[in-house]
Amino acid sequence: MKAKNIVLAAALSMSPGLLYAQFDFHLGEQDIHIHSFASQGFLYSNTNNYLTMKTSEGSPAMTDFGFNASTQITDKFRVGAQFYDRNIGLLGNWRPEVDWAFGDYWFSRYIGVRGGKVKTVLGLFNDTQDMEFLYTWALMPQSVYPIDVRGDTIAHIGGDLYGNIPIRKMGNFSYTLYGGLRPNDAQGGYLYGLVSQTRIVVPGGFTYIPATTVKIINYYGGPVYGADLRWNTPVHGLVVGASYMKADITTTGNYKTAGGLVPYKMVTLCDPTTAFYVDYSAGRLRLTGEYRREIKNSVFDNPARVLVSGNEDARSGYVAASYRLFKRLEVGTYHSRFIAAWGLYHGDPTNHIFDQAVTARVDISPNVDFKVEGHFIDGAMVNTVLDRGFYMAPNAGGLKPTMNMLVMRLSFHM
Amino acid sequence: MKTIYLLLVCAMLGLVVAATASPSALKLIANESVTASAVSVAEVQDAFLQTAPNLGSGGRVVPVLEKGGPTHEAFLKEYLKKTDVALLTYYRSLVFTGKGVMPKILDNDEEVVAFVAKTKGAVGYVSAGTPSPGTKTLQVK
Repeated sequence: MKAKNIVLAAALSMSPGLLYAQFDFHLGEQDIHIHSFASQGFLYSNTNNYLTMKTSEGSPAMTDFGFNASTQITDKFRVGAQFYDRNIGLLGNWRPEVDWAFGDYWFSRYIGVRGGKVKTVLGLFNDTQDMEFLYTWALMPQSVYPIDVRGDTIAHIGGDLYGNIPIRKMGNFSYTLYGGLRPNDAQGGYLYGLVSQTRIVVPGGFTYIPATTVKIINYYGGPVYGADLRWNTPVHGLVVGASYMKADITTTGNYKTAGGLVPYKMVTLCDPTTAFYVDYSAGRLRLTGEYRREIKNSVFDNPARVLVSGNEDARSGYVAASYRLFKRLEVGTYHSRFIAAWGLYHGDPTNHIFDQAVTARVDISPNVDFKVEGHFIDGAMVNTVLDRGFYMAPNAGGLKPTMNMLVMRLSFHM
Repeated sequence: MKTIYLLLVCAMLGLVVAATASPSALKLIANESVTASAVSVAEVQDAFLQTAPNLGSGGRVVPVLEKGGPTHEAFLKEYLKKTDVALLTYYRSLVFTGKGVMPKILDNDEEVVAFVAKTKGAVGYVSAGTPSPGTKTLQVK
């Protein structure tokens, strides 16, 4: 795997021409538009192994790429699809997937519909979080956009109703209503954590240890629906908005015990997520802030077929500032906070992750960028099934409460 | 003394005229298939930011941009109020979620005029003094 990453990184670095990543061609009367992207990352941390990567030794095991094709069928109807592949440590595992694929019928500015696999609108950047070339950051604020569990929110198979409504002298409102099924993310961090860790009860609550039982999960998904309302205010460059998502997730599989297979099932009794956000751009400056709350009440059966319940109320958010110093250089910083259990003591390092990041982005060309980012993380131990990059299995010696990390990322896009 | 006074008054009048006249350095042009003949700044924003599929009552609008230069910079400043980098980032966010397309980006006024003239629904911008045969000029209300 390491050799594969090095070869891929070298190929990406030396052969940008091979990745001339956008072209249009004609198929009969149709114009087909093709776009693509790729990125290669390197992470080094002074303690802990992060995102299932061996970051304490320095790891290049962060690669992703994708391409899309789309065409306008009629004046109002467009179709397209994007394919995506990634590997992040032990996640992703180079399994290609259909990132999105849908038909889009745009009746008027007030209303349009999409049907198929559609990227989910949640907060400012949920649907674009994979496209790191769009942002200053090498890693999006992980409190709100955790890369290891992106599959939990990234897309739904169903439909969207969307539109834009101008309000005289008040700017305009963009809305999205959606519903469908959340796809089964077999290669994501949630299932990795579920399979590689066992929850045990301790005084005051519970904690996670490396797995003492073997779980085989064969399904993780369920219906999801939600809405987003975004106000493009009359103050130029200022956007505020709110999102809501409700998911009913079922996880099924088996425990592998000495006595044979024992069924495993987890269901969420309540899993709403609420988000609020603000984004302000003025010339070269951009200021952004988001807040998110996820309540997750679930019940599952342990190998002894006893029902165990878990109630979580996680709150997270970040504030960020970036500034384009020169045509090819942008700098920025963000402070990101994640509290796993809002009702418990926030200062407990097992209950929070506070991340201060500082980034420099260099646009080597219009289609190539390179980022160097430092993270100063307090509270790298998180006892929650929600995860946020810190897993017990890759950290056999135990998780340390603080971590500093260097992230570098090279990206091609067009 | 009277001459100096007269010259000062003329200079001040000249400054006032220059400040109030300030015509735009660019003009908006459209394909003959575009039904609108006058558009607001908000409608131009809608067309180029792909928040509305058409201009007025016509068919799908096809915006075209220039790669750079003073006309392009003036258009960004007067109409879209975004930097070039921010605009490209915005378009890419649409392209890579499937929710929009990357507009055609051409090298100069002549290419823009040629594209607009031959493409149904096309809307673009060129320097105010550039000849634009085969297109119509949109008035900005």
